[in-house]
Amino acid sequence: MNPYLPFKAGITGIRRETGDVRTFRLELKNGLPSGAPGQFNMVGYPGVGEVPISFSLLPSKDSPLFEHTVRAVGRVTDFLAGFGEGDEIFLRGPFGRGWPVNEVKGKHLVLISGGLGLAPVRPVIQMADQLNAKRITLLHGARDPESILFETELKEWRKKGIDVKLTVDEPGEGWRFHAGIITEIIRPLKIEAAETLAFICGPEIMMRFSARELFLKNVPRSNVHVSIERRMRCGTGLCGHCQHGIWFVCKDGPVFSYQELSGYPDALL
Amino acid sequence: MTGENVFQKNYEVLICKELFAGWVEGLRDDFKLIGPVGDGVNAEFREIASLKEANLDYQSTMLPPGKAYLFKPLEEIVLFNAGPGGVAAEEPPIPVQKQVLIGVHACDTHAVFYLDKVFLGAFTDPFYKARRENTFIISLNCKTVTDLCFCHLIGTGPYLKAQSGYDMLLTDMGGEFLVELKSERSKNLFNVKGRPPEAGDWQKKDEMETRLLKSFKKDFKADGLRQVFLSRPGHPVLKETAEERCLSCANCVMVCPTCFCHDVYDETDLSLTRIKRMRRWDACQDYFFAQVHGGNFRSERQARLRQFVFHKLDYEGQFGLKGTVGCGRCIRWCPTGIDLTEIAEEMMK
Ligand SMILES: Cc1cc2nc3c(=O)[nH]c(=O)nc-3n(C[C@H](O)[C@H](O)[C@H](O)COP(=O)(O)OP(=O)(O)OC[C@H]3O[C@@H](n4cnc5c(N)ncnc54)[C@H](O)[C@@H]3O)c2cc1C
Ligand code: SF4
Ligand code: FES
Repeated sequence: MNPYLPFKAGITGIRRETGDVRTFRLELKNGLPSGAPGQFNMVGYPGVGEVPISFSLLPSKDSPLFEHTVRAVGRVTDFLAGFGEGDEIFLRGPFGRGWPVNEVKGKHLVLISGGLGLAPVRPVIQMADQLNAKRITLLHGARDPESILFETELKEWRKKGIDVKLTVDEPGEGWRFHAGIITEIIRPLKIEAAETLAFICGPEIMMRFSARELFLKNVPRSNVHVSIERRMRCGTGLCGHCQHGIWFVCKDGPVFSYQELSGYPDALL
Repeated sequence: MTGENVFQKNYEVLICKELFAGWVEGLRDDFKLIGPVGDGVNAEFREIASLKEANLDYQSTMLPPGKAYLFKPLEEIVLFNAGPGGVAAEEPPIPVQKQVLIGVHACDTHAVFYLDKVFLGAFTDPFYKARRENTFIISLNCKTVTDLCFCHLIGTGPYLKAQSGYDMLLTDMGGEFLVELKSERSKNLFNVKGRPPEAGDWQKKDEMETRLLKSFKKDFKADGLRQVFLSRPGHPVLKETAEERCLSCANCVMVCPTCFCHDVYDETDLSLTRIKRMRRWDACQDYFFAQVHGGNFRSERQARLRQFVFHKLDYEGQFGLKGTVGCGRCIRWCPTGIDLTEIAEEMMK
């Protein structure tokens, strides 16, 4: 099989999340995609190119549809922003190693996300019932109240028993939650270090400081997992662009434990 | 006992060079012949009609034979057709041309083993795979070494010790070649009768190797770099070399026999109906190589130089092989003579 050969997916719905972020609800033309939380597709269109986008929702027993949440920042993502319901896009994958959901059982799962980083974490929340976690906490930071993703789902997540805590940099009028950087809502968190498993996704600098807060609470490095972003051209460990130390972020990651990433140059982590 | 019987048992034979050349010419019906043409370190692997055109005493080439003929610098990987029914993706034809690479040195043979790890690993590249299967590799033990060679420190030369992964190994014994058959297909293909090597011939081979090993100029401790490198990623020698001498021209990467990085981009024809998704050799020395939206992980020149040096001399855990084969090309073709072994030595001080 040619790993470069993409397949078509139909857009069955588009949700405008915030200014430049859209969630595409997708349906595969031929059969069901498999996929795990934290994995990604190479998404694109012929003549424009392909970029890595994490699953923000996986197909489940209730629905064969899945979602990608995309911020328009450049050539390919701007092009995708012009698509409408009924259009077709091209996908490859799923690729990569996702979140270690099998390790969650019996643990306190701490999900920490910044901005669009909530998208790759959402499939974990989607399967929260199956994880058998002792406790799940979601700490999410955004620029301002308007740019909080999946806001309509937060209530539902709380109903599932997830302790959701929010913070924004610029609160504005009527904001009921914390204002400030993400570390400020990590710090007061009561946790048992050895029984805590953390999944972090967001800008690299935010992941670094979030992880540091957890280390101060004695959470072992091997229990702190981050999803990192690198330039990707193939998704299959062939083009070399995503290399970080000995790792190919596309196939060995994008999710790594802090332990695995430690010591290599050219990262903020 | 006839020579033929002994040969069939041992798959090793001494034959005169003219006979060998004749056998190679006979392959032309089925294979494209590719061999080294030109002298010294400026030879070039290209298509030849017979061994008369080749110079098996060559020392090195700018482009390594394995990379140049197995992993093309520019290649179509997907074709798209846009028609009234929408856009359809199709696979470009898989290469079927058979080729023989003649006279591949030990280092360059090891570089092919490295490329195998990359392109035939978790994901198989169908184009590389087809070319690899259609390529008959005749390796050649070196007769001389250059000032920049350091294969002896890496374990990739100057004599090839690998027992598989290629087809045939030649050693120049003067008037004769010692031919060692290393693959099933070579045993089927090589039908020339010759003299079975005797103890004296093996001894002569050993002696030539020992003599050659003594002629290397380069010496540095290639093992144990890991501790040094990762504990001092900001070593001043990297910064100084990068800022004072490196031009980010990427010559080092282009001539490297194990560098496999490539870019992927789309080319649309003027009718807007045919789109080719292409791959093209790319280099970590390029400013944009590690750029993403919102940042560039190696915007500093020293970070890019470090990536090259560490990837070649450390990061062995990536494929279980060293990233360098000690061919010295990156040093030779660097316009300012940057030498990764000197950087390593400096860092180990
Ligand atoms: C594993 C993974 C998961 C991801 N998940 C998501 C997700 O769920 N949602 C999401 O929105 N994003 C996600 N991303 C990020 C997303 O892949 C990038 O935003 C996307 O690749 C941008 O591509 P683009 O073509 O739109 O922008 P590009 O045109 O590639 O531009 C991106 C930036 O790079 C610069 N740039 C790129 N190439 C060049 C060049 N040759 N010369 C000069 N400048 C250049 C541009 O200036 C621009 O700022 C993910 C990334 C990874 C690695
Ligand atoms: S060949 Fe030399 S100058 Fe050019 S990028 Fe490599 S190290 Fe720098
Ligand atoms: S994206 Fe090509 S090697 Fe990882």
